[in-house]
Amino acid sequence: MIDGALLAWLPAGIPLLGAVSSIPFWSNPHRLKISAVVWSIVSLGSIAGFSGHLMTPPEGLLPLYLLPLTAVISILGQPIHVDHRLSWIAILGFLGLGLSVLMNLPVVGAIGLLSLFTLVAVLLYRHHSVLWPMSWWGIGIYGMGALCAVGTLAPDSSLVSVASVLAGAVLLPLVPFHDGHLTALTRLPGSLPSFIVVLLPLIGLHELAPALPMIPDVAAWTVGLFALVGTFYGAVKALAQTRTRLLLAYGSLSFYSIVWWFAAATRSATPRSALLVGTVGLAMSGLLVAWQVVRTRYGDDIDPQAVSGLASGMPRYAVLLSLLALAAMGLPPFGVFAGFMGLLLTVPFPSTSGLVITLFAWLAASWYIMQMTQRLLFGLRRPELRYTDVLHAELAALLIVVLVLLALGLAPATLFAPERTVSAASSAGGSLAWNR
Amino acid sequence: MTLVLLIPLFLLVAAGLVLVGPSHSRQARARMAAYPVGAACLGAAATLYLVATTGPITVRFYDLSSVASFTIPIGFYVDRLSAIMMTLITAVSVIIYNYSIGYMYQDRHARRYLAMICLTDFVLICMVSSSNLMMLFLFWQVLSYLLYVLAHNHGHAGTLAGAFKTFTLLRAADTAFLAGIALAYQLYGTLEFQDLFARAAETPTTLSLWPGIEMSGATAVTVLFFIGAMGKSAQFPIHLWLPGSLFAPTPVHALLHAGIINAGGFLINRLAPLFGLSSTTLHVAFVIGTLTAILGATMMLAQNDIKKTLGFSTIGQMGYMIMECGLGAFSLAVFHLIAHGLFKATVFLNCGNVIHKARQEPHFPHVERQANEEGLSRLTWSTGFVTTLFIPLLILLVTHGVLRIPLLESQGTVIFLFFIWITSSQAILTLTRLRQVASWKVSTAMLATLLFIVFVYLGAAEAFTAFLYPDPDAVAAYFRAADFPDWMFDLIIGMATVLTIASWSYLYMTAHGRAIRMPNWIEGFRIRLYLPFMNRLYADELHQLLGNTVMRLVHRLDKVEGGWSR
Repeated sequence: MIDGALLAWLPAGIPLLGAVSSIPFWSNPHRLKISAVVWSIVSLGSIAGFSGHLMTPPEGLLPLYLLPLTAVISILGQPIHVDHRLSWIAILGFLGLGLSVLMNLPVVGAIGLLSLFTLVAVLLYRHHSVLWPMSWWGIGIYGMGALCAVGTLAPDSSLVSVASVLAGAVLLPLVPFHDGHLTALTRLPGSLPSFIVVLLPLIGLHELAPALPMIPDVAAWTVGLFALVGTFYGAVKALAQTRTRLLLAYGSLSFYSIVWWFAAATRSATPRSALLVGTVGLAMSGLLVAWQVVRTRYGDDIDPQAVSGLASGMPRYAVLLSLLALAAMGLPPFGVFAGFMGLLLTVPFPSTSGLVITLFAWLAASWYIMQMTQRLLFGLRRPELRYTDVLHAELAALLIVVLVLLALGLAPATLFAPERTVSAASSAGGSLAWNR
Repeated sequence: MTLVLLIPLFLLVAAGLVLVGPSHSRQARARMAAYPVGAACLGAAATLYLVATTGPITVRFYDLSSVASFTIPIGFYVDRLSAIMMTLITAVSVIIYNYSIGYMYQDRHARRYLAMICLTDFVLICMVSSSNLMMLFLFWQVLSYLLYVLAHNHGHAGTLAGAFKTFTLLRAADTAFLAGIALAYQLYGTLEFQDLFARAAETPTTLSLWPGIEMSGATAVTVLFFIGAMGKSAQFPIHLWLPGSLFAPTPVHALLHAGIINAGGFLINRLAPLFGLSSTTLHVAFVIGTLTAILGATMMLAQNDIKKTLGFSTIGQMGYMIMECGLGAFSLAVFHLIAHGLFKATVFLNCGNVIHKARQEPHFPHVERQANEEGLSRLTWSTGFVTTLFIPLLILLVTHGVLRIPLLESQGTVIFLFFIWITSSQAILTLTRLRQVASWKVSTAMLATLLFIVFVYLGAAEAFTAFLYPDPDAVAAYFRAADFPDWMFDLIIGMATVLTIASWSYLYMTAHGRAIRMPNWIEGFRIRLYLPFMNRLYADELHQLLGNTVMRLVHRLDKVEGGWSR
């Protein structure tokens, strides 16, 4: 009989082992990619296999499933090339570290969190270009996150809760600590952004879960206020962007801030919060993979309008991108809508103004995501461009994202964790009160 | 009972049949798919009979006690309202689908288009038979997107802009609908229709939106739902998407104007017991509906494009339908939308012929006016007089005496009858001006037809009300909820009377060459009104301006705040 604590080490160890065992294939990118995909699938299998024996965290088991799944998608969606080898190995490494944090492994979890911050900061320091110059703000924010990760090891519980909330604010982006998120999504190499957009926010939510009930009322109120500012700010900034990766980064910031708002109001991170965080991340990951398809064919940071008419030249791609866009803008029956509605229905509104801002962000997503999709897919077919529809691996990656988002939208919310009753512990602004 | 599920399934099968298969058999598959569409229509008719004789059908794929665990609980509730809507949608679909097979014969995207038509029908059927608000919203949203897909064309910039406007405006209205759902759940703890109505009636709630500003829970919820309905039913000022989507293939318009646009009216009817709890919302609906009816009809008169004319006619009719809801005449609104749907589908499918004929015959449909128009004869005047003054009295007597509608207790019915008076007078005025009432035969035929139509309409509407809402107390309660303060009721009736009499007086005096003391600015204003109405009150330009201003602000904010570049 294997001990439950030992089982928790296994899912975290498998991807790390995979990263190490994939290194011998460094000279053969094709084999390296296959190896990375296989190890990610094994990791997913191990979680599915041992889920009955794992301790269920407050936000449920969904993040544990989503991480290896996103790893598979991110690796699959990237074409085979020598430049992408580092990102495949890094994804496996990050997956292992992320799972060690989510499994609450003693000491290793904290070290995993510290390593994550440090590695992302190092990668950001190393990878920048003329199009995406060095961002000291982004690197600095991850540096701050690393300090907070060290702070979570302190003996003082109040210090631990503050450090955890701050670390959470860096991981699950919250204004004014959102620069790290923007920098990571725009500058990390290869397919790492499409993995990071799911990994870090889910870990952030996990860090918040035990810390939120401990923080004082005024801190919760401030967090709620920042969350509303972030919701509005992210949506407005996304509306102004023409660069796809930035648009997605700001869009995801807006949606993640909605989670912060509800979390601050209820002082908890519920499975429904995890559903919204996970599905927003997954939808953005899918869109980043879809954008990767365009980048592969037409170059980095190209103006979407310059490659218009993909709907007629790349019909399979067009259908998948449209579905992903629908999911990302929070339309039913996809998971983002399910997560959003889950929070709206189960959590009492902390404030009317907050609800209005939240709905504005939901609505604004229709504008910026639809506009981006329309620019890419529609318009006249350009004779000077060569259109190549999605390859098998790309098709598989995008299809998996769409199907998983659909499944998460229709599955019961209690599938990954039992439902708990939540109540508004505090409010930020004019209260929406009613008397029966 | 679960056989009712075959209706949407038939449509799904039709979509699959069109979509999947080799391209050489495309035409054969398209023709074959007409059978499941027809089968769906027959199924809907059978369901209507079943529901009328045995009562509502409920099929749920979830446990009511654990509804919170499913975000989108899938279930079907088919009552008389749903069955009628299902029959209407599938009947119109059969005609449109068969028409489309020929219409889109040589189009490159015919396959996608036909599949989309079937899919839209499927979504509409699921929407009208939803057992709860969440499922209704799911299909409501999907419909918004399908409308975008149906209304757009990859390579045409104007169509793309129109489709984008359609999607975004509908989403704006849908956001209010979503807020309404969230609020309804927070207040009443359920999204199941029957439970929701029962709890809302049992537990009146008051919302404190702001210190000193209070609103009843039912009003807040229904106002939000009403905004959602305004979007789909193209009510002023969210009507802009409808003219913007007119580039789509003609059969799409037939479906849009006969089926999709009725979604708003359906929603209000589905939630009638909830709307009946809020007089405020019903009054808002009346005002918005009336405004839309007047503006839509006026703009229709000033359009010079057949599709736009029909589009604005639909907007006006939808305004009329919402106005009926605002008067508490919910069943009448459904009756109206059915009649309008069938009429407008026919007109749209025929409008291509009109254009074709106009191209062949340069004078069609214009009629050359006589150089020297004769004065209006005594016969013409008598006909007009009888029509505008005696027929309304007759209608009132029949309504009160034969149909036993308590006019004194039902303001809504009285206002509605006065509205009939205005509109029929307007029709007669038009005919009189065109010198179409020239002989006893024509006069008699016209009056007899008018009487026949009005009485058949009243009788049918009354029978339909009894069918749709068998409980007369509920119908009376809706009318009572829509009652206006006495002064407003008197004002509306007074205005209707003055308007009709003034129109006749004006016509009489101008026909007899009498001078009407009219200030120049009024005369000039009347002429100047034509231009803004022809340009649809510049609403599109205002919308564009608003959008540009918002985007300018957004970009300014983006520049001020460095963001990513730090």
